[in-house]
Amino acid sequence: MDKYNDVSPFVIIKSDVTRRSFIYTDRALGALDKSKHQYQQRVLIGSNGGENAAVPVSLLLRDGTSIIGMPSKTAKNPYVVDQIDGKLVLTDQGEIVEEVHYWYKPDYYDKFTSSGTPMWQVASSRPQRLDIDPNSHCHFWNKGNGCKFCNINANSAQSEKECNMSKQLTAQDVYETVKEALKQPGAFTNLKMSSGSILSGAEIFDDEVDMYIEMLQAAGDNFKDKKFPSTIVASAFSEKQLAKLYENTGLMTYTSDIEIPNEALFAWICKGKHEEVGYAEWKRRIIRAVDIFGAGNVSSGIVGGCEMAQPHGFTNEDDALKAVLEEAEDFASQGVSIVHCVWVPMHGSAFHNQQNPSLEYYVRLAKGLSDLRKKYLLNVDMDNYRKCGNHPDSDLDRGNLE
Amino acid sequence: MSILNDRIQALLQDPEAAKVLATVDNQGIPHIVSDNTITVNDEGQIIYLELIETSRNSVNLVNSIWFKRKVAIHLSKGEESYQIKGYPAYSVICGPVFEHYYKLSLERNPEFDLSTVWIIEPDEITDDTYAARKNKEREKHPLITHLDRLAK
Repeated sequence: MDKYNDVSPFVIIKSDVTRRSFIYTDRALGALDKSKHQYQQRVLIGSNGGENAAVPVSLLLRDGTSIIGMPSKTAKNPYVVDQIDGKLVLTDQGEIVEEVHYWYKPDYYDKFTSSGTPMWQVASSRPQRLDIDPNSHCHFWNKGNGCKFCNINANSAQSEKECNMSKQLTAQDVYETVKEALKQPGAFTNLKMSSGSILSGAEIFDDEVDMYIEMLQAAGDNFKDKKFPSTIVASAFSEKQLAKLYENTGLMTYTSDIEIPNEALFAWICKGKHEEVGYAEWKRRIIRAVDIFGAGNVSSGIVGGCEMAQPHGFTNEDDALKAVLEEAEDFASQGVSIVHCVWVPMHGSAFHNQQNPSLEYYVRLAKGLSDLRKKYLLNVDMDNYRKCGNHPDSDLDRGNLE
Repeated sequence: MSILNDRIQALLQDPEAAKVLATVDNQGIPHIVSDNTITVNDEGQIIYLELIETSRNSVNLVNSIWFKRKVAIHLSKGEESYQIKGYPAYSVICGPVFEHYYKLSLERNPEFDLSTVWIIEPDEITDDTYAARKNKEREKHPLITHLDRLAK
């Protein structure tokens, strides 16, 4: 932290906790109040706590920064969440690093839709975001070509088996859950939808676009105005598909993840996307989305550090960072924010045995991406510390706002 | 245990008292806001409700909590005047505490859209009345005064 004393220490802690993972002491787990805190969640990527596993879904730091992470029993050098002197704290090698809080459970979580679906299975909740993932199955995996860092289908199959959680949502359930969620004053500032890619339709992704239109219209029926603060994290749609989506829904912002901002590595790690669409076309479509949604209202996520996956990735951190930031600058100069999450080699993904880069790499990456937004005057209100919470770089933007 | 005595806590709870919050940006340039809704919680921590997330004040507070920079609160009513310095300790954006103050803000003005509940841990208090400041100077710097004040 001394070396990067102009970078928020909360961002550094968050990056490292995500990178190294964490575990809970029994005392810390004892502080979980199932009536107040979240211990179940529908998530696309990562893992759910499971029906009977009362484990907090995530952590919040004192400055409002979220740590989107999950405990790992197999992590080699994890942080430890403990309860000391009545406070929950992160500890590293027995030393207290920072105070943490468990995520609160929104009021709608324990309610049911008219079809009997638990509302927490329809919409999960981040500290200020309503998360709806209408389809938890990615078609790229049908041909064995899913992205190598991702465990979406393994996770959704496990959730279906253990929690009877449906991989697909119905529009009526979405409508009723959003209606209930909006009754809680001050609880949410954004509605986000995401899904596994759906390749079918007259044109690739046509059915995915139609699915989002149906679900966004169902959610949108709860708002006074047609447009409401919202985003989707989706496949890279054509201009025609994007226009259809924008015109027929309340959607205000759009994200499609380029994942690995390097064509050769994209072809290896995201083989399905490269074969069906191609890196250049995926990128072009994201940039063209700016014509519809406006500069700053389109972002693209990268799996930060995955460019160092072996055997084909970069072997030198300086080279990797240079390549990533050059490509991110090309996006930023055309109105697209690049945001990163911390690559966690997850159980159920093809890369589960890999090693992610150093903490210093992540600090430099976060600062580099945030600085690019400053340089190109892009605000990332759509994907910031409060709206998403999964991007150390957009957490940093909070200290630069005006 | 809070360093705020009962009288100061009462003043912080008094909506008629004048309350000003001063912050600095990363270049050290000061910024002040006047807000008589600044108050105190049961733990003796100062509560400031930020309504504008992208305001200069908000950004300064974010940088204060990140880099452990003090903020100052000037508190006065009638002849009483205090300066309190402290550290932003929590930026609360969700959960029961946030929702409590969110509803309170709406009661004050239905147009208010609360961004953040800032919880400031007081660290130092100065009696800021003229009499207190002059007495302190006379005690520590007896040579600083005008002679006519000492004449028979």
